[in-house]
Amino acid sequence: MKRILLAEDEEVLRMLVVDTLEDEAYEVDEAADGLEAVQLLNSRTYDLVILDYMMPGYTGLEIIEKIQSSEIKAQGKILMLSAKSQQFEQERILEAGADYFMAKPFSPLKLIEKIEVILHEAESIHY
Amino acid sequence: MKLNPYITKSLSRQVVSLMTGCIILFIAGTGILFYHLQSLHAEYIQHRQSIVEKQLLVDDILDQYHSVFLNMTAYNVFNKEGLKEQAIGQEASIRGEIEEFKSIASTREDRVISSRLERFSDYYFNDALPSFLASQNISDTQITTHVSDFRSQIKSYLGKLSEMRDDNVKDLTKEQSVLQGLFVGLVLIFLFFFLFIVRSIVKNIGRPLAEFSMAANEIAAGREAVISVNEHRKDELGVLSIAFKKMLSSVQEKEQELMAHNEELMAQQDELHAQQNELQVTLGIIRDNERKLTRRNELINGISSTLDKSEVLKSIVFNMSNIISADRGMIALVHEDASSSFGISDNGVQQFRDNIHSGLNFRLLQEKKAFTIRREQLDAEKGYHENTNYSYDLYLPVLSTFQEVDAIMVYSRYGTSFTDQEVEECETLAKQIATSLDKIKLYEQTEGNRKLNQDILNTIKEGIQLIDQDGKVVQVNQPFCDIFKTGSTPEQVIDLPWDKWSAEMSFQVEGDTFSRSLDEAIQHLEEADHEQRSFIFKKKETNQVIKVYFEALRYREVGFGTILVYRDITKEYEVDQMKSEFVSTVSHELRTPLASVLGFTELMLNKPLKPERQTKYLQTIYNEAKRLTALINDFLDVQKMESGKQVYEKKYVDILPLLQKVIEHLEINTEHHDIQLQIETSDLLILGDRIKIEQAFTNLLSNSIKYSPYGGRIVVRIYSRNDMLVIDIEDEGLGIPKESLPHLFQKFYRVDNSDRRRIGGTGLGLAIVDEIIKSHGGQVTVVSHYGKGSTFTISLPSVTQKEAGLNHDRQSMKLSYEIMVIEDDINLAELLKYELMDSGFHVNYFNSGRRAFEELKKSPPDAIVLDILLEEGEMDGWGILRELKVSAGFKEIPVFISTALDEREKGLSLGAKDYLVKPYKPSQLSKVIMHTLLSNSKKGQILIPHSCEEGDRV
Repeated sequence: MKRILLAEDEEVLRMLVVDTLEDEAYEVDEAADGLEAVQLLNSRTYDLVILDYMMPGYTGLEIIEKIQSSEIKAQGKILMLSAKSQQFEQERILEAGADYFMAKPFSPLKLIEKIEVILHEAESIHY
Repeated sequence: MKLNPYITKSLSRQVVSLMTGCIILFIAGTGILFYHLQSLHAEYIQHRQSIVEKQLLVDDILDQYHSVFLNMTAYNVFNKEGLKEQAIGQEASIRGEIEEFKSIASTREDRVISSRLERFSDYYFNDALPSFLASQNISDTQITTHVSDFRSQIKSYLGKLSEMRDDNVKDLTKEQSVLQGLFVGLVLIFLFFFLFIVRSIVKNIGRPLAEFSMAANEIAAGREAVISVNEHRKDELGVLSIAFKKMLSSVQEKEQELMAHNEELMAQQDELHAQQNELQVTLGIIRDNERKLTRRNELINGISSTLDKSEVLKSIVFNMSNIISADRGMIALVHEDASSSFGISDNGVQQFRDNIHSGLNFRLLQEKKAFTIRREQLDAEKGYHENTNYSYDLYLPVLSTFQEVDAIMVYSRYGTSFTDQEVEECETLAKQIATSLDKIKLYEQTEGNRKLNQDILNTIKEGIQLIDQDGKVVQVNQPFCDIFKTGSTPEQVIDLPWDKWSAEMSFQVEGDTFSRSLDEAIQHLEEADHEQRSFIFKKKETNQVIKVYFEALRYREVGFGTILVYRDITKEYEVDQMKSEFVSTVSHELRTPLASVLGFTELMLNKPLKPERQTKYLQTIYNEAKRLTALINDFLDVQKMESGKQVYEKKYVDILPLLQKVIEHLEINTEHHDIQLQIETSDLLILGDRIKIEQAFTNLLSNSIKYSPYGGRIVVRIYSRNDMLVIDIEDEGLGIPKESLPHLFQKFYRVDNSDRRRIGGTGLGLAIVDEIIKSHGGQVTVVSHYGKGSTFTISLPSVTQKEAGLNHDRQSMKLSYEIMVIEDDINLAELLKYELMDSGFHVNYFNSGRRAFEELKKSPPDAIVLDILLEEGEMDGWGILRELKVSAGFKEIPVFISTALDEREKGLSLGAKDYLVKPYKPSQLSKVIMHTLLSNSKKGQILIPHSCEEGDRV
């Protein structure tokens, strides 16, 4: 079972993503802000980390930077969710080290598709 | 005188010859006398020598004889042979001397003596001596006698010789005396002769000369003169006489000639005199012209030296007065209030100005030609003169190029009239003055235009700078100077060279590319497109953002310079930034609920879900949609407020019912919150927009509820402090972290707090509250203890009842007047109803007159709003009005007609309080009704209706 961390400060969206992922039989941990996310990330390695961009505590970008600088445990893939959909924001996020980017509002079905692709890719590289 | 002609020809020769002759004679006479004296003297010396010689010889002979005698005697005695020899030896020398004597013997006596001596010698040597020797004793007696005799003879001779010598001296003396006498005689003769000569010279020369001199005098004196000098004289005088006569005659001739000449000269002189007169006349004219020219020159100098009108006018009056020797004078412009005077009081000037279009000025304005006036002198002009004197006034027009009278000049002169020539000259000068005035007019116009241009430039908000091809500043406006502190006025900036101004400006601008960008932009202006003709820079200290545009300036196809326009786009820039920030935030804020709505919907559409989950999702969707709506409403509010488009309809509002309403409304939704209202003041009126104030309180109270998730007490306290009405809203909720307090009223700011995350919100509520309260002249503050709760405090300027025009206390104040609205258009009725309710009225609405009357009878309202055109078949507005005004119970109820019919007069005449023609501002109606009701209640009587002002209508 793949384990995914979802860091999102909006409760409703969290519910949406968690419900969707759990339906697909992923194990999901939830973090309601940056601090919680960092805590969880330090406790273990996730196959996928879904980060909201705008979060109290640490922003998604800050968390990526922390992972990159090995300040926190290395993780699998990173997917960034952001309401900032402008091209340059996307580029910034990908440059920072995120593997994928998804703009809000997003389609939960598409998210699942994407996650499957990502994790499959990761698998094919691992094995 | 018969002299040699050589001598007779020359007077000097005559004199010289006479003098020479005289001197020769004198010298000859003297010479003769001298010679005679010399020869006399020589003869005397010769004579005396021969006598002395004879004497000496005789003496010598005698001495020798003597010695012989002695020797002989001694021989005789001593008988010494030597002695005898010596005596005999002497015989030869005696004999020689005797011979010598004989040779010099000149007289008879001498010769006697010489012979005597010879004889004695013979005797003695031949006879006596030998005898003596022979005898030796010869008698002595004989010899002695002989010798004695001889001696006496010789002695006598010697005596005679001495006598002769004395006689000789006597003779000489005598002869010398004679000669001296002769010399004296000679001198006397010479003197006489000399006198004679002098006399003759005087006679022969002096007299004719005197005569000549007299004659010359006579001639010189112009009289006839006769010369009596002999013409036949050959000397100079003769010549002179002839010459004199000749001269005389020639003089006389000459004189006649001269006389003729003189006459001729006289004639010529007359002619010259005539010419001179003519020349003098010409000279006079020339001088006159010169004077005129000088005056004109002075005038022109005076008026062309400045462009200041008053200076020029002053100079004109001064110079003109000088030129025509006027005692007083003035110039006044006809179309402008400008004048200058000389010797005239201010009153006089004013009087002249006041009458510039009348009297003599009128004549001048009509005739446009100079004229003079002769008038009796005024008392003030007369001085001490008692009899009648005259003054002369010269009226001179100054004609413009269009032959209009631009200015009037008047000059007065005491006693002397103006000649035509002067008037003419003045007119010429007036032309000059006209030119100068034209010039000034042109200058003023130009200057005015320039000022106008500068003013126009200055009123433009953009800084404008015109530079020439070299980059030198040609023109700038005030805003430019305000943007750049290169100088405080345009004048200080104009003419600054490129280097200077660009450097100074660069210094004030952030970054170091300003100067270069500027240079490049100007250099490549021609090929630049519209975008490239501008760039934006930021100023260092003021942080102004300025956009500068360039435009090439051409004058007759030739590049003249560049216009630079500096626009302060700080505000636009900030607004722009804010806008994009706002848009970005808004989009972000909208995306989150949208994501939920879309996401859950998608799930529901694509997945088979359990009913509980479906309900949960639907609930979520609903909530998020509501949140979206609230967000959008808040956005719109914020946008409205920020763009300044929010209009607050401020009225007197009683805060208490408002708060009660808000609390009531919110209480419904919560069970665990206890909202308490504490009233600690009676001044509850504010001036405000009811809806907005309500919104502010709703926001605050709902926040209090939201952020007290575990319930608790919420206290709303109303009290007064320093003319402010203060409302505290105190909760016992989560409280706000200290660091968040300063940002609390910022847009989209949300306190990061895990507890809060569950609490929805747009982050705009407090920003809206702040904006509303500030717009009401109030303030909202917050005090919070994190974890214990927060207190938000709103203070608003309180309005006393007096200010509000309500002079009764709240209890007696009938805020809810009953208003009856009779209106058939339901929409309009609704609008009016809300408007009136907003203003605190209680509204009853009827769409038919009949039903309204029924209601009227039950409870009469305080005022009626009446439409004229009602539903068909019904009583129309006019009917209702008439009926109302005749029934005793209702005729004092004020009726306000609200209609589309413009029949104000009819309405008012029927007794309506006011007449509003649709469409009008709803607030207008409230205002009019409120006003009427308040004045009624104040005065306790019905007043004449106040008509609404035209301008208030929409």
